[in-house]
Amino acid sequence: MIMPFLKGLATTLRMVFTKPITQQYPEERREMYPRWRGHPELTIDPDGRRRCVACTLCLVVCPSNAIKGIVPAEGPEHEKYPAAFVIDLQRCIFCGLCQEACPQAAIKLNNLYELAQYDKSLLILEIDRATQKESKLRTPDWL
Amino acid sequence: MVNLTIDGRAVQTKKGQTILEACDDLGIFVPRLCYHPALKPIGACRICVVEVKPGPPRPLPACATYVAEGQEVVTASPKLDVIRLELMKLVLINHALECPVCDKGGECELQDLTHAIGVPEVDLAAVKLPPNQDYESQLVERHPDRCVTCGRCIHICRDRVGAMAINFTLRGYFTELTSGAVPLDCEFCGSCIDICPVGALINKQFKYRSRAWEVTKTEMACPFCGGGCTYELHVKDGKVMRVFNGGDKVVLCGRGRFGWPVVEAPDRLKTPLIRQDGQLQEATWDEALDLVAAKFRQITEAAGLGAIYGVGSPRATNEANYLFQKFFRQGLGTNNLDNPGRYTYIRALQGLAAVFGPAQVSGVELDPSRPPAFTSPYPVTDDAKGKGFPFVLGKIDDLPKADVVLVVGADVTPELPPLGWALLEARERDAFKLIVANNRRTKFDRYADLSMRCQPGTERLLVAGIIKALLAAEVTPAIRASGVEEFKESLKKLTLKDVAKKTGVEEAAIKAAADLLAQALAPAIIFGAELLAQDKGQENALALADLFLLVGKPGAPGSALYPVAEKNNTRGVCEVGVLPDFGPGFAPVDKPGAALPEVLALLEKGDAAAPQSLYLLGGDLLRFAPNHKQVEKALKKVPFIVVQDAFLTETAKLAHVVLPVAVHAEQEGTFISSDGTLGYLPRALSANGVKPDCLIIHEIASRMGYSIPTGGPANIFKDLAKAMPLWAGLAPKGSEPRADFGKDLSGQLVPFDLDVSLPGRRPLTLLVGKSLQHSGSFTTHHPCGALTVTPRAELGMNPDDAQGLGLTEGDAAKVTSSQGEISVPITLNPDLPPGLVFLPEHFADPAANALTLNSNLVRVTISKG
Ligand code: SF4
Ligand code: SF4
Ligand code: SF4
Ligand code: SF4
Ligand code: SF4
Ligand code: FES
Repeated sequence: MIMPFLKGLATTLRMVFTKPITQQYPEERREMYPRWRGHPELTIDPDGRRRCVACTLCLVVCPSNAIKGIVPAEGPEHEKYPAAFVIDLQRCIFCGLCQEACPQAAIKLNNLYELAQYDKSLLILEIDRATQKESKLRTPDWL
Repeated sequence: MVNLTIDGRAVQTKKGQTILEACDDLGIFVPRLCYHPALKPIGACRICVVEVKPGPPRPLPACATYVAEGQEVVTASPKLDVIRLELMKLVLINHALECPVCDKGGECELQDLTHAIGVPEVDLAAVKLPPNQDYESQLVERHPDRCVTCGRCIHICRDRVGAMAINFTLRGYFTELTSGAVPLDCEFCGSCIDICPVGALINKQFKYRSRAWEVTKTEMACPFCGGGCTYELHVKDGKVMRVFNGGDKVVLCGRGRFGWPVVEAPDRLKTPLIRQDGQLQEATWDEALDLVAAKFRQITEAAGLGAIYGVGSPRATNEANYLFQKFFRQGLGTNNLDNPGRYTYIRALQGLAAVFGPAQVSGVELDPSRPPAFTSPYPVTDDAKGKGFPFVLGKIDDLPKADVVLVVGADVTPELPPLGWALLEARERDAFKLIVANNRRTKFDRYADLSMRCQPGTERLLVAGIIKALLAAEVTPAIRASGVEEFKESLKKLTLKDVAKKTGVEEAAIKAAADLLAQALAPAIIFGAELLAQDKGQENALALADLFLLVGKPGAPGSALYPVAEKNNTRGVCEVGVLPDFGPGFAPVDKPGAALPEVLALLEKGDAAAPQSLYLLGGDLLRFAPNHKQVEKALKKVPFIVVQDAFLTETAKLAHVVLPVAVHAEQEGTFISSDGTLGYLPRALSANGVKPDCLIIHEIASRMGYSIPTGGPANIFKDLAKAMPLWAGLAPKGSEPRADFGKDLSGQLVPFDLDVSLPGRRPLTLLVGKSLQHSGSFTTHHPCGALTVTPRAELGMNPDDAQGLGLTEGDAAKVTSSQGEISVPITLNPDLPPGLVFLPEHFADPAANALTLNSNLVRVTISKG
């Protein structure tokens, strides 16, 4: 009668002194694997400018219509850039096709994963919120 | 037919075809880069090479080799693949490859070809050339680093447009497209843009606005001039992106291709306006329409049904104009209506009708089955016979078949560009002869075999001289002609010497012209609105009709008269019966109403018989009538004016109610072009609060208790076409069916006025005419592409005249005539002879018609100022 109880206690005690395999989220955050597909973001070049040239290839390839509202414009040196760009995370299925299609490496899936929101509209990223702030990309050295 | 084998397949092809054309007909794909169906073979790229037996021991270009009996053609073989791949690599060395930002991406022939041929990589190297982009030129942007040196743009500009504005410089790998000097100085037709297989020539209006695949394409008739071109309107998110003309015929003129932003002009009216306390105030549609109906009713009750006078519009659709005349004829029961063509095109019709008789159609019968939308319910049968003046009017597609063309009083390209393109096509035949008689040097003098420069306003006398020379040579008319003796009598006193003295054209030239016309197998005569706008414009048309009766061969295709109907529907508005004396299809009416100039004169005098109200369907009377001052005075006396227009024109500013209308592709409908073809305008844009003309007329009519057909333009067309046996066989995009009619032509030589004096003593003659970039006043609203090229009115003047007056380019000149005075900057133009100055008619300020009286010619004094 007492034996099973002691066995259980032994197991418990053994576990108390071994290293835990779980993480203490949210105190502790997990480093993502390099191939993790977070949400798409517009990347910036070393000068802090968006690389996107508004070619709309990502919009064409996106299977779930998550990319929309790309408004092309002409810059002072006749360069083409997006004056508006919307990534709708409500629709995104994190497939990564947009980054495959982009000829400029201007859209990339980052390593973020905390995407839940109380307000749905926050999931619709207009151009500034869709632009990468600092490098949280999966391989920090790719740029 | 020619029998040959292609890829082992025995086939039959048409004679005179190239191997490439034959392959296209048979559905055999041969890669190509420089070939384009609108051009003659260029043979620059050699990608279309095929093996031909019998033939030289090397592959031949399919686009420049003609099919021959017994030929054996191989279009695909390992050898050809290697050649094509190598050639593609050469094309792609240092190609910019900026497809993501290149507007051609997605419709680029080089992209397609790279895929089709499967170029894996370019393992060749060459020095990199500077990109040399041209961002300066108006409307066209050039990227030489994307050019594949196919030569299409050069060929279209030279052979089809006739501008010769661009060419290659340097050789081999260094070949580069150039316009001589940056920036481009040309006709700005944009044809080179649409024919360029790559993104080397870019439409600035389209640049970066949309990708090629994002647009919705609608084919529509051009709503600017009477040329009857069709093109694709590309629309994205309800906004026009560009006008594009791919396909077999790429050429359009600048106003057609770049004029569409008139739709987006910020000065367009958005709501109806009603005059309250002397000011035009915004109102709702119901308020405005109720007011119009109530006022119209009040006026007709007080002053009779004829108290409302209607002016139709050469811009509005056939359907709108038809409803408009129905409103007057069936609703009000009056024939008091007319259209602005009165000052030009109607004069041509009247002149022709005097000689060739009224329009008569026989042998066509109503088809009981339901024809498709916008198609005439009268099929053309073998018994169909046409008589009278509509049957001497020519079709532009046939013009290249004429062998002698006489151009009188027309700067062809600004008047009606397609006539010019047809002349260029005709020139490709050796037997073709062109006679140009103008008061100044125009574009087509360059191509003329005989170029006559006559004094302004003496064109009719010159024609009389030609007729006199023909009669002296005992020419017998091919058409049955009566009245020959009386006619000869009327010209008895005229001598060629006199004509030569007064017109300034040498006797020998007049005789030469007469000779050419007498010997012609298919002579055609082109005359412009410029000739018709003279005060004796109708006499001018009469003279030319007489001439055609003498020399014309109406049985031969292309042999016809080509008067210019300047606006998209100038001819249509007349044919559907917006005339005081004729109903739809030129059916005479019982009690003809008054013509527009008479009514304006009555109004100006304050005559009791003058109408109490004007209903203007578009048409800025103040801008197009040749006597600005009188018209202004007349309009100010009208108690109630209703204007339907897209803009607050000067006439609209005097109106009591202004109703904003839909323009361009905001409405559905049809036009009749200058050559009688039916253009279909589908609705491709939303109307944003304004209404199409048809709907407005309908709403006014129903508020007044008249029943008028409705159910949209297709229904109105059905009603209209039923009344028009003249339109038998007419269908959108169909060829002009009147050409298929059996023609039973006869005519009467009618003497015409030989007095060509121009009143007044002032030293210079002012000619008010057309500018290449504009069509009426429609294109003078920002941000219309036409305005980037011709932004304002400038007075053209011979450099010697200018020097004599102490004026240089850009100086302001004070121009005074007996009618008024304006100030305008001058531009030096050596094409104008001394003594002649030229002012375009399109602009409101300075208004050219402030100087003129009943004519586009007026004597003026010019001073610095
Ligand atoms: S990851 Fe996939 S679904 Fe999301 S935006 Fe890119 S292409 Fe669209
Ligand atoms: S011309 Fe064609 S291949 Fe060249 S950059 Fe433009 S789209 Fe790409
Ligand atoms: S725009 Fe027209 S006129 Fe000008 S270069 Fe091109 S084709 Fe020639
Ligand atoms: S600009 Fe275009 S059309 Fe002209 S030669 Fe170059 S590729 Fe050909
Ligand atoms: S020629 Fe006339 S119809 Fe043709 S595109 Fe130009 S304006 Fe339009
Ligand atoms: S297509 Fe035949 S040579 Fe270019």
